[in-house]
Amino acid sequence: MSVSRRLATIALVGRQNAGKTSLLMHLTGSSQHPVNFPGSSVERTEAMAKVGSDHLRVVDLPGITSLEALSPDEEVSLAWLGGRTAAGKDDGPDAICAVVDAGKLGVELKLIVELTRLGMPVIVALTKVDVAGVTLDVDSLARQLGVAVVPVNALSGAGADVLLASLAKEVASAARPAQLAPIDIDAVVRSVTTQNADGRPSLTDRIDAVLLHRVFGLPILALLVFGIFQALFVGAEPLMGLIENGQGVLGTWVASIVPEGALQSFLVDGLVNGVGSVLVFLPQIILLMLFVSLLEASGYMARAAFLLDRVLSKVGLSGRSFVPLVSSFACAVPAVLATRMIDNERERLATIAVLPLMSCSARLPVYVILIGAFFPSSQAGLVLFSLYALGIIIAAIVAFLLRRTRLRGSHAILMMELPVYQRPSFRVVKNQVWAASREFLVTAGTVIMATAILIWILSYYPRPTAIHERYEAERAPIAAALDKLAAETPEHEATQAKLDNVGVRERGAYLEQSFLAEAGKAIQPVFAPAGFDWRTTVGVLAAFPARELVIPTLGILYSVGDVDPGEFDIASLDQAQAHREEGLAGRLRASKKDDGSPAWTSLSALSVMVFFALCSQCMATLGAIKRETRSWRWPIFVFSYMTTLAWVMAVMVFQIGSALGFGGGT
Amino acid sequence: MAEISNDAAPGTPLDRERAGASLRVVSVEGDDAIARRLVDLGFRPNTEVRVERVAPLGDPIQFRLHGYRLALRRSEAHRVLVVAR
Repeated sequence: MSVSRRLATIALVGRQNAGKTSLLMHLTGSSQHPVNFPGSSVERTEAMAKVGSDHLRVVDLPGITSLEALSPDEEVSLAWLGGRTAAGKDDGPDAICAVVDAGKLGVELKLIVELTRLGMPVIVALTKVDVAGVTLDVDSLARQLGVAVVPVNALSGAGADVLLASLAKEVASAARPAQLAPIDIDAVVRSVTTQNADGRPSLTDRIDAVLLHRVFGLPILALLVFGIFQALFVGAEPLMGLIENGQGVLGTWVASIVPEGALQSFLVDGLVNGVGSVLVFLPQIILLMLFVSLLEASGYMARAAFLLDRVLSKVGLSGRSFVPLVSSFACAVPAVLATRMIDNERERLATIAVLPLMSCSARLPVYVILIGAFFPSSQAGLVLFSLYALGIIIAAIVAFLLRRTRLRGSHAILMMELPVYQRPSFRVVKNQVWAASREFLVTAGTVIMATAILIWILSYYPRPTAIHERYEAERAPIAAALDKLAAETPEHEATQAKLDNVGVRERGAYLEQSFLAEAGKAIQPVFAPAGFDWRTTVGVLAAFPARELVIPTLGILYSVGDVDPGEFDIASLDQAQAHREEGLAGRLRASKKDDGSPAWTSLSALSVMVFFALCSQCMATLGAIKRETRSWRWPIFVFSYMTTLAWVMAVMVFQIGSALGFGGGT
Repeated sequence: MAEISNDAAPGTPLDRERAGASLRVVSVEGDDAIARRLVDLGFRPNTEVRVERVAPLGDPIQFRLHGYRLALRRSEAHRVLVVAR
């Protein structure tokens, strides 16, 4: 019986865009899913490559330009090449595979020379030979460098088998690598290069003449972003509907086989709906990661960064932050994952910290209901625009401050290659989308599930029997009347609606005295200066796991008390969303405080919307930030500053508005 | 490092050049990590550089050297001294 041995560890070293990630996949085969290993700031990726019955461990490191680090990512790569992991453990390569771009040998040779001085065998993988625009004498190059040079196509994988065999041979030979004698880089490049002189500008130059055009470059980018944004909403919609339907079907099915009571409520409201409300983001995440990955792999991402760097540099970010920031208008969760494309760690952290301030799609329903209920349609657009603008302005200020305090670094530099345009590698794109989705699901399965359960417990208990008896007494005569009516008649439907309404109000009564409501009433004084009544406060509390939870919570809370429920045709909470929202808007307008004054005015609605615009109410985002920054520090920071800011701004809106006389009802 | 010069070298800063200009690197000013990185990116003496285009908002600038395309902000490009070719 033969046992597979690990022969050696090979490090793939080279610049960003050299093709290391694709090469790793071609070296290790499709059966291997690369595993990401957390470092202190960035990840290295590794997989096993089969050589006969044995295997080589191949490690893909973050890109480096030289053996001197300018960014934390480069530090991690260089430390690992030197035999240390970021955590300080001993680990490192036995041999180096230098992955270099054939099109710019003039800059790559210096790195190769430096790598040979590390005392490990070095093999050169020459990528992008087909698009280099020059013909290279590979044998002559290998002779002059004194190391093996293997041309590979990182896209198709051609040459990967030869490279693997060379690597295996190199690590098997015990010979110590010879130190490379000093060479004249420019002379070597001249001697091995023949220009393919056809005189025409390359395809990349012709595309850039359009995409980076002085006048058209920015409008084209704007169109592209708009298209992606639109596709996120339109493309994800049917899938999200499917998940929501599945959630509904599953919830109904569970409710039909589990008797009514705590277990049923836990399974349906806690588990199915809790996890479902997070899973519903998965289609958007898959689509967004697909677009981001395609833009990155094709080479356009660097162009977008080039076009917009000027604007973002004003607040200490760079062009690389642009795509995550825009993505965040759809959903902050994939946007946080998309920040991996930012190479400077401090800039990446600053970007992550301000991403959740962009008004995401989950805030939109809250805005739509409150604007519809309390503002004339002539002002609706302006109010909505202001809420989006508020998030952007605050994000700019926060990024600016962060980059001058906690995340101050060597001033942001942009030294970015604009790579040759290429067809994206299907496998690279697939793997990036898969990795992001899987990580999101793991987060959903752990952190978010735990929070959903906690909120369910707080909103379900205690369950005093007095409430049950009171509503049972109210229900009994209606149920008896219902039995006497023929089905499918208007009377039957009306009575059924009445019966359902008792159920809704019973849920409301339970919720009103639940631990969550008690907490809401206890915290109420904190939110009183912002103009919230206690029910709004409970809604805000319930919305901390996911902001869209505020809608069903307010729906339940405002279904009880001062309004005659018969007035409204909300038969049950499970009815169509639009229907429910219309009903909710009406109930919010009609609701009264204990002293008889309106519970909601346009000013308090504005204050609530400002709170929602700025507050960190999304466990999924905080989970993603935890996962991407590998510490609790950043999610705690983001949660704290956003929540504080949201409260301060909501109070300011309400107090200043009241002082100016806008507080007197609608 | 011999490649890096602090002396009052002849040449104009690279960020002053217009799009389309064909230039030759004289030196990189300074002796810090950024100066060394500029050299590692290919701005060695005698390297041929072309200014490809300026971004629509005026910064950064796209260059072409050693057969590849590189974007630098004006603040970094300023440290590369060049003469016309």
